Amino acid sequence: MSNREITKGDILDTLKSVVDPEIGINIVDLGLIYNISITEDSIIVEMTLTTPGCPMHESIIGWVKRILELSYPGKRAIVNLVWEPTWTPEKMSDDARKKLRI
Amino acid sequence: MNNQNSVAGIYSPPFRIVVKYFVATILSFIVFNLMLLIDYKSISGHHFQPKILSINHILTLGFITMIIFGAMFQLVPVVLEVKLFSAILAEIQFWIYTAGTILLAYKFYFFTSSLSFEFPAILLSLAMTIFAINISITMTRVKKWNITGTYLASALFWLLITALAGYLLSKNLDSPFIKINHLQYLKLHAITAFIGWVSMVVMGVSFKLIPMFTLSQGHKLNLAKWTFFLVNIGLLGINWIMHYPETGIYTLIFGLLIFVGIVLYLIQIFIIFKKRIRKRLDIGLKFSAFAFIVMGISALLNFSFLFFDYERIKNLTLIYGFIVLVGYISFLIIGQMYKIVPFLVWYHKYSSKVGLEKTPMLKDMFNEKLAELQFYLMISGLVVLIPSLLMELQIFIFIAFVLFSLSSLIFGFNMIKIFRS
Repeated sequence: MSNREITKGDILDTLKSVVDPEIGINIVDLGLIYNISITEDSIIVEMTLTTPGCPMHESIIGWVKRILELSYPGKRAIVNLVWEPTWTPEKMSDDARKKLRI
Repeated sequence: MNNQNSVAGIYSPPFRIVVKYFVATILSFIVFNLMLLIDYKSISGHHFQPKILSINHILTLGFITMIIFGAMFQLVPVVLEVKLFSAILAEIQFWIYTAGTILLAYKFYFFTSSLSFEFPAILLSLAMTIFAINISITMTRVKKWNITGTYLASALFWLLITALAGYLLSKNLDSPFIKINHLQYLKLHAITAFIGWVSMVVMGVSFKLIPMFTLSQGHKLNLAKWTFFLVNIGLLGINWIMHYPETGIYTLIFGLLIFVGIVLYLIQIFIIFKKRIRKRLDIGLKFSAFAFIVMGISALLNFSFLFFDYERIKNLTLIYGFIVLVGYISFLIIGQMYKIVPFLVWYHKYSSKVGLEKTPMLKDMFNEKLAELQFYLMISGLVVLIPSLLMELQIFIFIAFVLFSLSSLIFGFNMIKIFRS
């Protein structure tokens, strides 16, 4: 990993391993990741959740942080939870939508 | 390190305490169904009979109230973002409550045994008071209040009133002192339990859980406020008027308030379901949706009872009891348990492994086909039971209880599967 620069695509691929066990869809396909910025020593993820205050969803933030720090040693992961713009089903990938039968 | 951002991780009481309540709930449900089967010949006639009262309390105390206790220890901290005041009290309460439940069921079953009614009633009241204190203190620490909290707070009040009425009834059975009819107080005890305690919890929690499980968005909870006022005023009125020998028109007025409150609640739930993103209803939500329909039917039946003497129709009280206890409350509890138990076990075992190794989906932690079979067995049981009770066809009552028992064994099997996965 150290030989080449980390791209947003890498980060998205990594984050696909965080799957919501209730819905069965990963957080990237759910459309929860709004923005990713990579600096020299940190990865900053701006993300939202489908419903405010859900216990499972709160845990997801912890998992995102951990998986990033484990996958990219030396980088600090910062997860900013935002509620604007509000998450809507349109933000999901086609596969995810098919799975939820929207 | 893994759960530092998780509400469930920070606020939840220890898994081992909550699990005790869940295991006792599952066992009680199986015992309830098997006892119906064993004593099927006693399930007929007036509801005030030792075996019926015993079996009924195994369900209401051992299954229904037990799971509400366990679930509230888990949910109140999560929904209101506050730490449970005391996990030790929750543990102590469990043992006192379980002893009280077993002894009360025993005493009802062996009505003439030397054990008093008062002793189990004291244990149960003590356990419920400990619960109310534990949750109340927890609630005083809440920073962000919401409507679920308001519903749960009123449910605690009605739990204590139910316990008080139950205690007075127990003393009256040991040595009669209540001046008006014992059965009128029993009715008060039951109404307060089912509408004040069970339904206030069910309604309050559903505003949080149903949108979460169905991914429902964009609904307002205006009707929920009306329901809260109507049902609580109705219950206060019923609790006041029932202390008089003649209740007259007042029962009708207060009954009407409660009825309208429940209808508004069902409209609210319908709106939430209608706005859901996940169109497919999984087995947990199928059980729940069926329960909401039956809740409407029970409210309608209950309302109609205000206009005629339902005790004149043989077994109608029993039929009503099965519709409410099995069709509405048990279906809802089982449905929600198929959602909540996998989550609790998953969270306990796999939360720290997310992203590091493959973790199971919640729905893969039990056999969904068998759960579907359980769903249809329970419905078939109800469909066979209701006309059989009405026409007093004992063999068909027996068949209905065989269906119920099979369904409870499937439930037990699936729950064990979840705990072992």
